[in-house]
Amino acid sequence: MISRSPPTISFSRYLLANRNSKMWIIYILNGLYFAALIFLISLGLNIILGVMGILNLAHGSLYAIGAFMAAWTVIALGKGAPMFLIYPSLLSGVVIAALFGLFMEYLLIRPMYKRALEYQLLITFGALLLLEDVIKMIWGGEAYYASRPCDVLGTCHILGNPYPAYFLLVMIMALIAGLLIWVFMFKTKVGVMLRAISLDREMATALGLNVHKMGTFAFVLGSALAGLAGALVVPTTPALLGFGMEPLILAFIVVVIGGLGSLKGALAGSLIVGQTRSIGIVLFPEIELALLFLIAAVILVAKPQGLFGR
Amino acid sequence: MANKKIGRRQFIKTTGAAGIGAVGIFGSPFKVRRAAAAQKRSIPKDPIKLATVGFLTGAAAAPFGIPGNNAYRMLADRINKEGGISGRKIKLTSYDEAGGVDAQVKLCRKLILGEKVDVILGYISSADCKAVLPLSDELGGLIMAYDCGTHVLMEGDKSPYKVPKYTLGFRTKAHLGIDNIGLAFMIRKYLPDIKAIAGINPDYAWGRDSWLIFETAMKKLMPHVKVVGTWWPPLFTTDFTAHISALMGAKPDIVHSALWGGDSVTFTKQAMGMGFFEKSRMAFSRGEPYPQEVGRDYPEEQLICCAGTHYFLYPPHDKWPLNKWFVEEYHKRYGKYPTYPCYHAYQAMYTYKNAVEKAGTLVGGWPTIEEISKAAVGLSIQTPSGHLMIREDHNGIEDVLLGFSKRVPEFPFPILDPKRMEVFPAHVVNAPVGIRTVDWINSWKV
Repeated sequence: MISRSPPTISFSRYLLANRNSKMWIIYILNGLYFAALIFLISLGLNIILGVMGILNLAHGSLYAIGAFMAAWTVIALGKGAPMFLIYPSLLSGVVIAALFGLFMEYLLIRPMYKRALEYQLLITFGALLLLEDVIKMIWGGEAYYASRPCDVLGTCHILGNPYPAYFLLVMIMALIAGLLIWVFMFKTKVGVMLRAISLDREMATALGLNVHKMGTFAFVLGSALAGLAGALVVPTTPALLGFGMEPLILAFIVVVIGGLGSLKGALAGSLIVGQTRSIGIVLFPEIELALLFLIAAVILVAKPQGLFGR
Repeated sequence: MANKKIGRRQFIKTTGAAGIGAVGIFGSPFKVRRAAAAQKRSIPKDPIKLATVGFLTGAAAAPFGIPGNNAYRMLADRINKEGGISGRKIKLTSYDEAGGVDAQVKLCRKLILGEKVDVILGYISSADCKAVLPLSDELGGLIMAYDCGTHVLMEGDKSPYKVPKYTLGFRTKAHLGIDNIGLAFMIRKYLPDIKAIAGINPDYAWGRDSWLIFETAMKKLMPHVKVVGTWWPPLFTTDFTAHISALMGAKPDIVHSALWGGDSVTFTKQAMGMGFFEKSRMAFSRGEPYPQEVGRDYPEEQLICCAGTHYFLYPPHDKWPLNKWFVEEYHKRYGKYPTYPCYHAYQAMYTYKNAVEKAGTLVGGWPTIEEISKAAVGLSIQTPSGHLMIREDHNGIEDVLLGFSKRVPEFPFPILDPKRMEVFPAHVVNAPVGIRTVDWINSWKV
C-alpha cells in the first residue's frame, strides 16, 4: 500500500531532517517577498485609517487597478520595448491608483467624514463593487499577462538555489518606499501635520490645519501605495477581476497584528504574516491560512490595539 | 375465439360500408389525409432559445469561459447556415457564470421559468453544476452541463447507485476521473522508476476530488510510491513561491496538479524562475491550454492531460477532417488554437442537436424536452476530438489523451511530443454505470 506522510509532522523532526538543507534561506526570502507586497498594501491602508479614520474596504480594488494599468502599459509597449522603458512603465499603475483615490475621496469619502463608522464601511464596500465594474468596463474580463519585467531580470543563485531576481527587486522597492514614507512622515512639515491629525483631529483643526486637504492627500498617498503593490506584483501573476480580495484580507490581518495607524506596526505585521505563511506552507500545509487568522485572533484577545497600536 | 373465414364478397361489403360510413362521419378522403397530417407535430417557426452560461468575467473567463463562448457562437453560426436544428434556427444568448452559486441558481430559474429557454448549455464550476443540475427536474428545463469536472455530480453515495440522477439534467463530457486515472497510467508506463510524488491542488472540491482520484489510482498501480506532501493553495493565489520552495524541499519526482487558469500560469512561471523544473516535473490534470498561454519558455517534459482527446493536433487532421475544420475555423476567427473548453462546447451543442433530431424523427415533429432527454441516452456523436457517448447515467464518456511537452520549430509554444502521446480508451478510464469511481478503482486487480 502507498505510504503517506501525515498532514502535520513534528517541528523538531522536520528541522532535524532539513538542518543541512539550503532551502531555508529560500523559505525566508519567500516570506520577505510576500511581506514586501503586503507591507505596501497595509501601509497605504494604515495611513488612510490613521489620518482619516476611514477603513477603506475598496483598498484592494485600488491595488487591482494599479495591477491592470501596469500590465496594460507593459503589454502596449510590446516585446521589443527597451529596458529603460519597461520598469518606469510600471509606475503608470501608481499614477492611475492615485487618480482613482483622488476622485474616490472627493466624490464618496468626503461626505462621510462626519457620519458613523457603519456609513463609511457601507460606502467603501459600495466603492469596492463599483470599482470592480469600472475595471470590467475599462479592461474587460480577460486576464492580463505582463511578465516581461520579471523575465528580463532572469534568475540569480542564492547558496546554490535559483531565485527570481525580480523578487529581490520587489523587496528593495518596498524597502525604499517604506523608508521614503518614514522620512516623509517624521522629517517633513506635511508629515508632521498628518501625524498630528492622526493623533488628535480636533486639536489639529483648532490649530488651523486644513484637515480636509490633508485627508485628501493621505487618501491619495495610501491609494498610490496600493497601486505600487499592484504594479510590482503583476509581472509575476496575471491581473484578473477579483484580484484585490486576497491581499485586502491579508492587509487587514497585518493591521490587526501591527496596530491601527502605525508604520512600525505595518512593518512588523507584514513580516509576521509573510514569514508565518512561508514557514507554515512548509511545515503545516493543511492550515496555512488558518494559522494567520489564529495569530490575528490571539493578538485581538491578548493586545486588542495590536503590537504597536495606540 | 373461433377463427371466422372472411370471403372476398364479404370483405368488399364490409370495407365498402366502413368506407362509406367513414366518409359520412369524417368527410372526404382528402379530409382524412389532412386529419392524419394534423396529428403529426408541427415544427415551430420561431428560433430555438438556446442559453449558454460560462464565466465571461473573472479568473476563469480567459482560460475557459471566453474560448467556450467563442466556440458556441462559431457553431451556432455553422448550424444556422446549414438550416438550423430540424429546420429551426438557433437564437443563442450568452450569460455570465460569475457571482457564485446563489446567483447561478437565480439565473437558472429566470432562464427556465422567465425566459422559457429550450435548453441551457453551460457551467464551468463544479459547485455551480451541483447547485443547478437538480433544478432541471424541479423546474422542468433541459440543462446540459458542458465543462464542470467533479465526479460526484452524477454519482450516488454508494455503489451501485440508481441512474439517472436527473431526468432532464446531463453532462456532455467525461468527469475528472479520466484525467487523473490517465495520469496514473502514463506515470506507470513512462516513469516506472519514480519513488516519490506530491500534490499541489486548489483548496476546494475540484482540487480535492482530483487528488483523491489520482492518489487512489496511484495506490493501485504503483503501491511502492510514497506521497511526500500535499499542498492546498487557495484559489486565485498570486504568490506560489512558498509552495514551490516547500515542494522542492520535499523532493518529489513528480507533482500532481489540477491548478487551472491564471493559477496554473502563475505557478508555472514562478516555478520556472525558481528552478523547480530542473529538479522535478509536473503532472497537470488539465494542462492542455497553458503551453499556448505561457509560450516558448514553457518547460519541456511536463506531463499534460487534455481533459479528453481535446487537442488541436489530435486526432490528426488528415485522418479526422472534422478536427481540421474546427481548428482552422476557430483560428481564423479568434487567432488562437481551440483549447479543451471549445471542444466541450462542441460536445454540448451537438449532443442537443443530435438528440432533438433523433427524437424529432421518432415523434414526427418537434419533440418535448422529455423526448429529447430520452433520445440523448445512448447517443454516440462524432466530434472534432473523436467520439462522445452519452450513457444512461446522463454522463458523457470519452477517451483521454496525454503526453509530454516538447518544443518544436513549427509552433511558438511546446506541443505534446508526438512520439509519446497516449490515448486511453473510454472503458479503461471511466467507471461502469452505477459504480462510484473510487469504488471502481479500488476493485482493480493489478
